[in-house]
Amino acid sequence: MIGIRKGIADIKSHLLEVYKATGKGFCLFIIILLFPIAWGMIVWYHTIVEGHLGSGMSDVVPWGVFISALAYFVGASAGATIVGLLIYAFGRTDYKPIGAMAILFGLICIFGATQFVMMDVGVPWRALKVPWILHNPTSMFFISSTSYFGFMIILTAELYFSIKVIGTKPTGFDKKMAKWLGILAVPYALFVVHTFTGTIFGVIKAREMWNTPLIPVHFVLSALACGFAGVALVTVITAKLEKREILTAATYSHMGLVLAGFITATLFLDFTDYIVLLYSQTAEGVETWHIISERYTGLFILNILGLVVADVILMTKRGRTENGLLIATTLTMLAIGAYRITLVSIGQIIPLYPQLGEVHYVPSREEVIMGVGMLALMVLLYSVLAKALPIRKSV
Amino acid sequence: MQQKMTRRQVVKKIAAITAAGAGAGVLLPSQSLAFTKLIERIIQTEFETKYEVLPPLPRVSFGMAIDLGLCIGCRRCSYACKRENSVPDSISPPYIMLMEVDPITLRRGSSILDERGNGLKNRLMYTKLRKDKEYMPLQCNHCEAPPCAKVCPTTATYKDKDGIVMIDYDKCIGCRYCMVACPYNARRFNWTEPKVAAEDINPLVPLRYHGVVEKCTFCVHRTRRGRTTRCVEACPNKARVFGNLNNPESKISKLIENEKSFRLKEGLNTKPQIWYLTQTKKKPMRWYKPLPPPKHIRGLS
Repeated sequence: MIGIRKGIADIKSHLLEVYKATGKGFCLFIIILLFPIAWGMIVWYHTIVEGHLGSGMSDVVPWGVFISALAYFVGASAGATIVGLLIYAFGRTDYKPIGAMAILFGLICIFGATQFVMMDVGVPWRALKVPWILHNPTSMFFISSTSYFGFMIILTAELYFSIKVIGTKPTGFDKKMAKWLGILAVPYALFVVHTFTGTIFGVIKAREMWNTPLIPVHFVLSALACGFAGVALVTVITAKLEKREILTAATYSHMGLVLAGFITATLFLDFTDYIVLLYSQTAEGVETWHIISERYTGLFILNILGLVVADVILMTKRGRTENGLLIATTLTMLAIGAYRITLVSIGQIIPLYPQLGEVHYVPSREEVIMGVGMLALMVLLYSVLAKALPIRKSV
Repeated sequence: MQQKMTRRQVVKKIAAITAAGAGAGVLLPSQSLAFTKLIERIIQTEFETKYEVLPPLPRVSFGMAIDLGLCIGCRRCSYACKRENSVPDSISPPYIMLMEVDPITLRRGSSILDERGNGLKNRLMYTKLRKDKEYMPLQCNHCEAPPCAKVCPTTATYKDKDGIVMIDYDKCIGCRYCMVACPYNARRFNWTEPKVAAEDINPLVPLRYHGVVEKCTFCVHRTRRGRTTRCVEACPNKARVFGNLNNPESKISKLIENEKSFRLKEGLNTKPQIWYLTQTKKKPMRWYKPLPPPKHIRGLS
């Protein structure tokens, strides 16, 4: 009892300290974020009460940007765990200053991913029952959504022990737990969480673009690139905003090299994917290629060119600096976002019956407002938690 | 059948609805009614309101044969189905879509798919019937290996013992994974609250609500009572035959055995339970003007 009271008092004093140290700029930033969040929540409420009539989705394109966002943020979350692996399995202790930050980033991303699904489903309150009461073990949606809960638990525990390790008196047990959770999170994130997310699409025989055993592999590789780029981007932005050095120039350079490797692997799979489509002889394959290269050219170019430019930047020594990483990671995240939208939403535009009519999908105003609201909520949660939790003490 | 609630549960329910409704009324007065309805629905799902679904018939496996040599594309089946199943106007296209196809496509024997730009002209929105064209109804195929049931995360979609692929609307979370997995575009999502006039509601069919998926049920409320489907009854040319595939003496079994037929997208191995008969017949063109096509199909231009 005394321990709990002491713990609460410690937290109180820490929060008070954080509050006193918070500048006006940060408060203004949070207030600005509250507007899109409130707007998004009002639109979401209308969707729950009245239905998804205002969305751009249809019976022919049943999954829109929200499911693309699910795939994107699950990937970002899975990729963020690589930092833990670098620290604990590869002995790169120079990454320690961003260890806890990366876990928090991953946790916020997986939370955001699940919330995008909640905004997408027709009966969200019933969807909450999925892992516990309603379940179908043959459904990849059930398997992957269950794995998200497991991942959240692992990341929360990892964050807890990492913070304890950063603290003044970490025990041997704390250190051991932080290490093993950091290592365990990587195979779980990549081979359970994100592989099954990729398999959601891979098992669908009806869709030409999805039904390939390479999809889960593609998802894992792009997740590594996206998640690691996300952590790097957050690190650089934090360093620039707070005008302090978080990582050394050598660590930034190493980070750039690792990211370049992930991007190259993703690019290789992107190229082979598109080349197979280009040479396709089936009606659906030819149609898919035409839709991607003619109707949604912008996304196609952003996907390929974004990754190529980012890779070129990171391949040069000059590019692997703070500024170079800022540009390369932004491009990587946008390019992988474009790939996710191409795969998920445009992958459904190929009509199941040819000449049925021209199938189209453009995210509606409602979807954009809800999506931006959710992104703002994720940024807000990250900003507040990054400030409130003692994860900077290690820097 | 509605489950009985205890007094305590009823009081709790009323209190929750009142509190939530009052709260919503303060926040957004115009939305308070809708909010109360929402809360009511949330609470209802806890009790899993049940409607009557007859159990599957023993030793029966339902299937359908559609004779393309007889179908004239008049859309009567589609309209009859819509009325029988209380399908609202917001569901478009209806459960049964009719496609005008080039006869050469059907003579190829397997599917209506062809390579891009080879001159075939399939049309959904035709307004005149033509003798030189074939008409092909498309609907849920009640596959023997339904991909929709396999992917449904909640088992809301399931294959019953008599071959009908059913949806439990009380379990459906509206994730639309089944729609993505269905190779036949047979499923419809309620993008908004369905509105059906009171006189058009079939009391034997459960009413759906926004956020759930629905589709053809082979008129389960009729077929499990020993009757045939409404589309079969409505067809003026007797192009549709419904029956028990387990009975070798049934009309459908004999037709499938003796006539040339194909099933849609057989390569996917979903084993549809609808056979399309392709033998050329003298087509009595009774109606030269078809019923109008759907005014607007979401997502199609």
